[in-house]
Amino acid sequence: LTLADLPPEVLSRQLRTGTLRLRVGPFIVSVRSSLQSVRHSLLSLYAWHRVAEPGDGAHFAIHVDPPRGLRRFVRRQVQFEGNGSRPFLPLPIGMAPLLFEGAINWCVGAFAHHLVVLHAATVEKDGVGLLMPAAPGSGKSTLCAALIGRGWRLLSDEFALIDPATGELLPVPKPIALKDGSIAVIRAWSPDAWLSVPLINLEGQLHACQRPPEASVAASGERCMPRLVVIPKFLAGAEAAVSRLTRARTVMHLADNAFNYNLHGQRGFELLAEIADAAPAAILQYSNLEEGVRIVNRLAESARR
Amino acid sequence: MRRLRAGVELTIAVMRDPRRLIGLSDSEWEDFLAVAQETRLLSRVALERKRSRLTLDAPDWARDRLEAAAVKGAQYEREIGWEIGRIQRALRDVDIDPVFLKGAAYVAARIPCGRGRVVADIDILVEEAALADVERALVAHGWEFEPLEPYDDRYYREWMHELPPMRHRQRGTLLDVHHRILPRTGRMHPPTARLLERSVAIDGVRVLSPPHRLLHASAHLFQDGEVFGSLRDLADIASLSAGGEAFWREVAEEAQALGLGRPLFYAVRYARRMGLADELAPSTLGLVGRWAPPPATQALMDTLVHAALGGGALLQGPASGLLLMRSQWLRMPPSLLAAHLWSKIRRSSPFAS
Repeated sequence: LTLADLPPEVLSRQLRTGTLRLRVGPFIVSVRSSLQSVRHSLLSLYAWHRVAEPGDGAHFAIHVDPPRGLRRFVRRQVQFEGNGSRPFLPLPIGMAPLLFEGAINWCVGAFAHHLVVLHAATVEKDGVGLLMPAAPGSGKSTLCAALIGRGWRLLSDEFALIDPATGELLPVPKPIALKDGSIAVIRAWSPDAWLSVPLINLEGQLHACQRPPEASVAASGERCMPRLVVIPKFLAGAEAAVSRLTRARTVMHLADNAFNYNLHGQRGFELLAEIADAAPAAILQYSNLEEGVRIVNRLAESARR
Repeated sequence: MRRLRAGVELTIAVMRDPRRLIGLSDSEWEDFLAVAQETRLLSRVALERKRSRLTLDAPDWARDRLEAAAVKGAQYEREIGWEIGRIQRALRDVDIDPVFLKGAAYVAARIPCGRGRVVADIDILVEEAALADVERALVAHGWEFEPLEPYDDRYYREWMHELPPMRHRQRGTLLDVHHRILPRTGRMHPPTARLLERSVAIDGVRVLSPPHRLLHASAHLFQDGEVFGSLRDLADIASLSAGGEAFWREVAEEAQALGLGRPLFYAVRYARRMGLADELAPSTLGLVGRWAPPPATQALMDTLVHAALGGGALLQGPASGLLLMRSQWLRMPPSLLAAHLWSKIRRSSPFAS
């Protein structure tokens, strides 16, 4: 049963009472909200995600609603609560859909410590798991969206989830966050992709969400091994260039982009070293998306051999 | 609220016996996980479960949350172990072997209440005469005082039992240096010298003797009361109470010597009432019975503690408030308390300059 299959009145009731259980990759997320904008956004962005039986259990319990208090009569705001804590101050009510995305991301970073979590876009093609660990603003979501427009499977544009027992990557196909100029670029690149109406986020950027492809969502349970690491560096007007990374530098770069590698002690270090052993790594500087994708495909081709 | 109560009962049962995790329903898992997480006991239970190699028939989400808590708990223990070593190294310069208190001591002593423990700040106890040396050595090794108003600095140095909190410049970790275990201005004055003399070393880390650990935890909860109302504190008491007749004889002697009989009485009473210390021999209750308060006081305390621990839904907030007021009252003589509160109010008012 997917979210789109739920009769509208059932979805509304489950959202209102907080009994909706959405499966997002390896996580069950319980969602509660009385806001139409959140309901609407969920229906568009998570249409193909499976829902679990309305029950008691969830990895993350997310509640997005206007805060109580007198302020609500002056200015409507919205706040989220994740597993009982409210880590952020209330935001303008119009940001509610973005806030829901932020809430899931925050929960993964704050609670998913049974996995090793890296800040990286992850995609897969023909058994090659590609990790793109990079800081915000480096163009990793854009390259990620471009790749899934050309046959790659989306695991996540934000997180690499690694099973510490096996070293496998777990898909967590969430909407892809596209900012400012990337929005028009991806609209032109993947005319069939569904993008949400852009909103202004806290950083003052235009922020749109791309619905993850149906096939990627359907394959949420299929794990893969990391076989290639590409560190994207978007630089307007620059010539495309690839520079290889040593294994030691690769480990350091992965550690720099880890959420909870330190929590896993020795096993955390070993895992990153195993990735560096199994996956050649390169920094990819590019300005032309077509060229960037071509280079990634070439690197993947040689990683497959 | 019914679910809160169910969660509290389950958490207590699971702490006493991890096998209670077997066969929980989904909603029981949810109640248990919510309360155990909120009371900061989940990592302890999760690590305990791993140690006992108990196999669970839990749903995936519950198993994952338990595993996440175990991973976090193991890291907390490593961090505390490391920090203890740093503090010892800094104080070796001035030839002082500090006694670690509370959470850090439980972790170092490897007792159940230290397992996977979240320790917000490390507490050490040193002789008052050594304070200047200790302060100097710590500053030389990167700890610095948090910026304080002159009034707050005076509050700590003249009235309290500890220096103002220190934070390590690079690691950001917090350290409280105590020279006694209760405020100078309070009504009970357990002699620091006796605590230090009888301290013991476990794997190279100095901690209070087992009876003193129990008495300190009791005093902290029922006299100083900064963190009143948490289930974890009573779970600590239960864990620290484990011992035979010889242990309890020593506890009684030390309670007498330190003047901490009343808080000990409360600690034992409420740990038992919450079902956390059922294995305590009935003779123990007889032993501490001589420090019972007058009946009216006891009846009031029973009501407040019961409510604060989630027994009575409506009263929980007010009861915690009243208990906090009680501990403030015990910290300082009335005139000083009035002056202190006045200065706090003035500062928080929008008209303060």
